[in-house]
Amino acid sequence: MPFVDLEGVRFHYQQKGRGEDVVLIHAVTSNMAIWLFTNVLDTVAEEFRVTAYDMRGHGASDVPATGYTSADMAQDLGKLHAALGLRPALLVGHSFGAVVAVHAAVLFPEIVRGLVLYDPFFPGLAHLEPNLAEASVWKDVRDALVENGVNLPKEVNFTALFRMVAELSPDQRDRIRTNLDPTSWRWLSQLTQLAATTCGDDVFRAAGLTEERICQVRQPVIALYDEQTSFEATRRFLQEKLPNCRGDTIPGAKHVAPLQNRTDFVHLVQKHLRALAASHDS
Amino acid sequence: MSVQTQEQILSDLAAILRDFHGREYSGVIGPKTLFFGELGMVSIDAVLLAEALEHHYQRSFPFSRFLAEISRDGTRDMQVGELAAFLERELNGGEGEV
Repeated sequence: MPFVDLEGVRFHYQQKGRGEDVVLIHAVTSNMAIWLFTNVLDTVAEEFRVTAYDMRGHGASDVPATGYTSADMAQDLGKLHAALGLRPALLVGHSFGAVVAVHAAVLFPEIVRGLVLYDPFFPGLAHLEPNLAEASVWKDVRDALVENGVNLPKEVNFTALFRMVAELSPDQRDRIRTNLDPTSWRWLSQLTQLAATTCGDDVFRAAGLTEERICQVRQPVIALYDEQTSFEATRRFLQEKLPNCRGDTIPGAKHVAPLQNRTDFVHLVQKHLRALAASHDS
Repeated sequence: MSVQTQEQILSDLAAILRDFHGREYSGVIGPKTLFFGELGMVSIDAVLLAEALEHHYQRSFPFSRFLAEISRDGTRDMQVGELAAFLERELNGGEGEV
């Protein structure tokens, strides 16, 4: 199994293909499987050297108790980049993975050549999105669990979600497993390992990635948002305030385009990576 | 290179899955066994299994294409036999069925 030890934390990764470096960064509560189950990894690897990894606390990587802010995870990415001997890379980030990508671009601009940001919410731009509790990323999960007799607060609280999953009784697990679709159940059942960490709170801290610092990103950025995104104000901000940002839209998707509109998601990621790579060459 | 039969591949798979990353399974593992529903695997286990199989057979496989196909509707499980058929096709140079 490919693992790399980064100052005492072991990270699981895969690398495939040849050419300019691309790093795929999954969302919080997800893992690198998203890139395999959607064929993004193999598709992008036809033209690039692709590295996908499990962020700390996720997938098969180690689960340290702390260190889950975007600043912490950008440090992980910087160390991974160095340990694997990557060249300046194009980063593709999904949701919080995109926040990590931007934070890395701010902290380590020399290792980032361009960014494809897919449907992120930035804690440092939370003032632009005052109705986060109504965002599908939280509301759909909460509604499904409440319907199955699990009490979760209305306000977004990932720490409560992780602890709830870890403390489900066998009867509750059976009931939820029966009523949820299999993909949602598999996603939910993996959250247990985050219950003893600070992840749920950390990912909602700006951790230094303020509005001002986000605007310092000079690399070319693609703001790829879903047609039904909950973060329209963030999308507008990125397109208006970043000096080199273009937007694009995934039809019919709502934060999980790899599941909701896989064909267009893969096509748009590939298309924009090609364009970013070509812009370096020209 | 010798031809791998689907029976041999199923036997290899059963041996790997019997005690997979600390998750023991005492039931019979056959072609109809469900990877997620019966073996209790989650998404990252599919990635780890792919890596284990590449190590076992000392070659790479287009797992991403296979996993994308079996998960296309977002809900379908994977039978161990489907994975065996995929491996048979790849190991034997495009023969077999997925």
